[in-house]
Amino acid sequence: MEVDREDGRSQNQLRPLACSRNILHRAHGSASWSQGDTKVLAAVYGPKAGTKKNENPEKACIEVIWKPKTGQIGKPEKEYEMILKRTLESICILTVNPNTTTSIIVQVVNDDGALLPSAINAACMALVDAGIPMKHLAVAICCCVAKSGYVILDPTKLEEQKMKAFAYLVFPNSVHSVLPEGSLRVEGEPIENGIITSVTHGIMSGIHCCLLNEGELQVSNCLIFSGGTCNSSQLIHPKLGDLNSSFGPIISTDEDSPVC
Amino acid sequence: MEGRLANSWRLTVNDKNFIKTALLSEIRIDGRKPFEYRKISIKFGREDGSSEVQLGQTRVMGMVTAQLVQPYRDRPKEGILSIFTEFSPMADPSFEPGRPGELAVELGRIIDRGLRESRAVDTESLCILAGKFVWAIRIDLHILDNGGNLVDAANIAALAALLTFRRPECSLGGEDGQEVIVHPPEIREPLPLTVHHLPIAISFGFFSNESILVIDPTHNEEAVMGGRMTTTVNANGDICAIQKSGGEGVPQRVIMQCLQLATSKAASITKQIKDAVEVFNTERALRKIKRHPTSTGVDVREKQN
Repeated sequence: MEVDREDGRSQNQLRPLACSRNILHRAHGSASWSQGDTKVLAAVYGPKAGTKKNENPEKACIEVIWKPKTGQIGKPEKEYEMILKRTLESICILTVNPNTTTSIIVQVVNDDGALLPSAINAACMALVDAGIPMKHLAVAICCCVAKSGYVILDPTKLEEQKMKAFAYLVFPNSVHSVLPEGSLRVEGEPIENGIITSVTHGIMSGIHCCLLNEGELQVSNCLIFSGGTCNSSQLIHPKLGDLNSSFGPIISTDEDSPVC
Repeated sequence: MEGRLANSWRLTVNDKNFIKTALLSEIRIDGRKPFEYRKISIKFGREDGSSEVQLGQTRVMGMVTAQLVQPYRDRPKEGILSIFTEFSPMADPSFEPGRPGELAVELGRIIDRGLRESRAVDTESLCILAGKFVWAIRIDLHILDNGGNLVDAANIAALAALLTFRRPECSLGGEDGQEVIVHPPEIREPLPLTVHHLPIAISFGFFSNESILVIDPTHNEEAVMGGRMTTTVNANGDICAIQKSGGEGVPQRVIMQCLQLATSKAASITKQIKDAVEVFNTERALRKIKRHPTSTGVDVREKQN
């Protein structure tokens, strides 16, 4: 079913992605991620000694500070901090540096829909830039369900407000992290990605399978993009060959080009 | 949390001595002369009233928003201007999140005095209905990277954001003309603020040996210097504010020298801000004409390399 979107995109089309690493000088790692007009800046201060009171000292601890564009910090910001913290805790290798705290500061520069996924992507890139040991990358996408039942990817703010439901999904870029140990690959069948985090708003009915399929398409696109930014071919998802959707122009810049 | 306090950055004794010795021969560690400013780059975001300024390694983001509120009782015909500074923990490992520290408050006050007391922004034009509705302009300054001399960079960010901000047009309506109707930007073009002049803050650092003076200190120099002074001047030669809080004593002729230097620098910085705003306004006008963004589908396999 063809849908009319305001900026002329098709259902599966993403907005232009842009990512820069190493933009701040004092921070140990920094990245900025933008999807269309939504832009988020993330900075990482590497392992500092000591953990907070309620945290487990046998593992590294991750602290997230979310800075909105304007106004006071309220409940929505605290919720985003918690989601980011749990997502990043599952992708970092926490046993390498026990009893340390890594701080991630996320600054919203502009919000035009898909804010939390952009923040997760930016935070992941900033962690890579800082050299924090990670199991794999995390890629976040947003898909939504409109009132008439069709699914669209990467909504703008206006589209998000009109939708019946939307979901933010975070996938890892390597299936092996979510497979149970020792399981056998089924011959000839592609393995699905596991989901690290999922946040939903609104009501959906039995459409979640459809959402996941759409989501995986977008994930493949984003993965190639982040993989390219990282300059490392091992991080690219093996399902690369199945792409059949198109997306906008990619701009990727590194201030100094470090090897990842 | 005591363990985490051990992470603050300190300059070593060797570094400090090197900076001071180099200054004796009028050399600064980043290669500048004592009275040379760092390169300023001013960029704007998609929205009206959002600016990002980079002064060397220092990076500040400014955001202007407006809201209709009731005016203060003693000033029923004037709008309200308020400045909020956020020393984001991403700028410096020693910045803690939460309540603003004394540096943040001092920075906010310097910029506030420069803008409000010198009447740079015309607050009377912000009044819609005397005693009932006025516009409250809120400037949020986010410090993203601390490379030294935050005051100057934040001031330029605030000015750039104010010059590109547009407030919605509103008119009086209702039965007795007491209601205010705010027109959305699609129906009526929003209006810019009236800014009479641009007060530019210029900071100086004083060093103890033989009263050496530098302009625009970096954060290494800030850790070494004995005193600092910020003068806010505009391109017309008016002095809007001077802030020298503590530090070592400085003779009068040095202060006069600083003021003269500041006035000459202010002229060039004012021109730079105005040029950047001009470019943004042209781009904004072009964007109004072009409705659909051009996004061409790109085959992924070609791009990946």
